[in-house]
Amino acid sequence: MTELLTETIVQEPHRIRGLEMPWNRVMGSTEGPASAARALGPWHPQEFMAECVEIVPEVGGMMTFVFRRCDGAPLAFRAGQYVNVAFPVNGEDQDPADRSYSLSSAPTKPWTFDITVKRDPTGLVSPWVHQNIKPGTVLEMLGPVGAFHLPDADRRARYLLLAAGAGITPIMSMVRTIHSLPGQADVVVLYHGAADEGFAFNKELAYIASVDSRIRVFYSLGDRAKPADWEGLSGRLTAAMLNEVAPDANGRQVYACGPEGYLNTATELLGNVGVDDTSIHMEFFTGDRQTILEYQAELALAVDIAEEIAEEIADSAEDYYEGQPAAFGLYEPGYDAEGTLQATGMPLETVDPDAPEASDDGSDAGAEVSTPDASSFETVGTGSLTLSFMRTGINVRVDPTEHILGPAQRAGVRIGANCKEGMCGSCKVVKLSGEVEMNHQGGIRAREIDAGKFLPCCSTARTDMVIDA
Amino acid sequence: MSAPVLPLNSRGKLASSLPAEQLAEISALFEFRRKGYSLDAPFYTDATIFKMDMEAIFGQHWIFAGSVAELPEPGDYITVDYGPYSLIVLRNDDGGVNVLHNVCRHRGARVLTEAAGATGNLVCGYHSWTYSPEGNLIHASAPGEAKFDKNCFALKRAHGREVAGLIFVCIADEPPTDFDETSRIFEPYLAPHDLSKTKIAYQQNIIEEGNWKLVMENNRECYHCDGHPELACSLFPTWGLTEGLIPAHLEEVWDRNKEAQSSLEERCRRYGLPYEVVEELDTRIAGIRISRESLDGEGESFSADGRRLSKKLLGDLPDFRLGRCSMHLQPNSWFHFQSDHVITFGVFPINEHQSLVRTTWLVADDAVEGVDYDLEKLTYTWKQTNLQDKAFVELCQTGAGSPAYEPGPYMKSEYQVEAFINWYVQRVQEHLA
Ligand code: FES
Ligand code: FES
Ligand SMILES: [Fe+2]
Repeated sequence: MTELLTETIVQEPHRIRGLEMPWNRVMGSTEGPASAARALGPWHPQEFMAECVEIVPEVGGMMTFVFRRCDGAPLAFRAGQYVNVAFPVNGEDQDPADRSYSLSSAPTKPWTFDITVKRDPTGLVSPWVHQNIKPGTVLEMLGPVGAFHLPDADRRARYLLLAAGAGITPIMSMVRTIHSLPGQADVVVLYHGAADEGFAFNKELAYIASVDSRIRVFYSLGDRAKPADWEGLSGRLTAAMLNEVAPDANGRQVYACGPEGYLNTATELLGNVGVDDTSIHMEFFTGDRQTILEYQAELALAVDIAEEIAEEIADSAEDYYEGQPAAFGLYEPGYDAEGTLQATGMPLETVDPDAPEASDDGSDAGAEVSTPDASSFETVGTGSLTLSFMRTGINVRVDPTEHILGPAQRAGVRIGANCKEGMCGSCKVVKLSGEVEMNHQGGIRAREIDAGKFLPCCSTARTDMVIDA
Repeated sequence: MSAPVLPLNSRGKLASSLPAEQLAEISALFEFRRKGYSLDAPFYTDATIFKMDMEAIFGQHWIFAGSVAELPEPGDYITVDYGPYSLIVLRNDDGGVNVLHNVCRHRGARVLTEAAGATGNLVCGYHSWTYSPEGNLIHASAPGEAKFDKNCFALKRAHGREVAGLIFVCIADEPPTDFDETSRIFEPYLAPHDLSKTKIAYQQNIIEEGNWKLVMENNRECYHCDGHPELACSLFPTWGLTEGLIPAHLEEVWDRNKEAQSSLEERCRRYGLPYEVVEELDTRIAGIRISRESLDGEGESFSADGRRLSKKLLGDLPDFRLGRCSMHLQPNSWFHFQSDHVITFGVFPINEHQSLVRTTWLVADDAVEGVDYDLEKLTYTWKQTNLQDKAFVELCQTGAGSPAYEPGPYMKSEYQVEAFINWYVQRVQEHLA
């Protein structure tokens, strides 16, 4: 039976191009239903309480703790990020010990989240965690934090994921995330461990690799003695090993996590095989003073943002969901002024119909609406609707049945017009607000209409309007 | 049998209108061209031969106009001029390209005056005759004109096609069919770079004081590459040489080149990318040379150390170290396709002694300037190289104008120049026959 199954030829799935995180589109959308789903968009760290609901022993002295937020909200984060947890190691009335742990679960299953903790017998916190955290334990957390994560959208998701020891936790989150998403990707995982029984998640990794042709997993047993039946790679990370698992490494984004020595070696080797500095992303599990300071700074910024947002929520629950805090840009460099979506080439399809984009000539139409006060303009003509011509400074009253061009021109608004049939485009103007009904004949392009332009020679007003003319 | 009627569009054509003895003189110049030598001066300086070039080459063959990145969306257009011709190349609603002569059917004004833009219908700026994107005259105010029939005054159309994201036009009534085969040669080399997902990072227009053939000749050899210090960092200056022709000072470079080429070829085989040289410069009507060749240094792009200049890979390419896929396409273009960016070069003749050379740098459309690439660095090597080439071309143009000029021999490493000239001579002779 097994034989038969392995010989069955399974066709490759048909996939969309590239990888896109599910919250990506929601983030830029202002439509009603989407804004509810925004809670899933990981755009800022928060302070919250979480309850442990399950503990799962892993091989290699690790333990996975499954949590859910006490407020019932999903935890929004990006694969690779971490949370900072306050552990009351010395009892409830003493100052807790703060520790940061990578999230090992996928953000695509956001109602619960996992941290996986390796027990360090000499440590203060991890033995306590293994000993004391049980289903029902409630802890205070801050997160998500960290710039080490997958991008929100990637048209060419080609990754090399390098993990050593407990460094597998954020990498595991990435693997689970990619596995849970549709879309093209090409992922190579190279996982170093000290002992053959030390590869946490190995069963799940083997399963994923066996069912998901996008993901390949390689194990290497460091430089320890290997059992006779060991089939994986052996030895520390070398250029030859990189070349063996990913001869096209230089075209991949590399995410690496592990002890400092391992990561330093990796940096050097990756450079040698041609990986660009900016394609290497690293998370240090132990670090020198410099690294530790950097993590402290990252955490401090997260605390500031979390506080700022908590205040905003207190001030106005509505505004909180409307805009993103100014600090957001700082915290998440993936979002530049133009927005991450444009930057990734996978633009959102939903746009706010009430906010016309900047017009072609660069004038920022939307932002100017309220500057001159139309109520002070002279009003001419008769009709049930009012058209305010902002540049000319006049209000023109029209009937909903007449084309806008005539009354506007008679009122002295300067609009060029040639064909008066919606063909030549010479009368094109920008509408700042209001609705028209237009019957054009090719004088305007769909994308100009999307940008708020219309042809007054063949348009009637449906509402009061504000026009940039 | 009735007397043959000259088709309307043949009016004003040179071959039919040139006095017989002038035609004979020109034919003789082509016939007695000395093989292996540069052309006689009139080929570079004479206005009548330029007219002949426009008619026999640019009026007959598929010529490069631009790339998809220049007109990605319906309504986007570019205008391109070849000598006396001006064409509008417009992206239509069906995703194809419409090619229209940019000559108003009223009194001949240029209908579109910008080099590029987006439009719905086309409105002539003079008396506002309005044409649909297909070229049909759809509006002309005609007060009191009883007999005016708009159907008789559509913009003239020419042929347009797109191959692997490159746009070609042909003015001839019946385009040569051999281009189909040429496109089948180059399409698989270029397709993996997916031009449809690129954008223009920069476009440079330079007017070279030189005949279009000198521009193309200069491009076909690297004998002069000592004059390109910036380019020589990444392009092996042994280009065009073969074993046995390597001068002592280039031996070391040659070895490096060979090694880089074999590792590139190994990569290409791994990814299924074609790399073999196809050289059919004068053995077919749409002359071509294409290959994928290694670059020096890191072998990724035209930078001083051979490193990538844009951090976003093009298309579905898996690897940055893919050297350059270079294509030369007659009569008027050449291209470098790297993993991180593409450079297109088009030559647009102005008159017998001036040519517009348009260079366009394309990067992945999701690459962000200042983040994924630095525009100065991206364009540096070829901006410098273009200026140097312009100077070389102009030196020759000035030389051809001297009474002391006489054709000189193309050297072995310039065999591709000879092939280009041979192609040119054949095409014109076919036209004259
Ligand atoms: S006047 Fe021609 S489109 Fe309005
Ligand atoms: S020349 Fe174009 S409309 Fe008169
Ligand atoms: Fe040159």
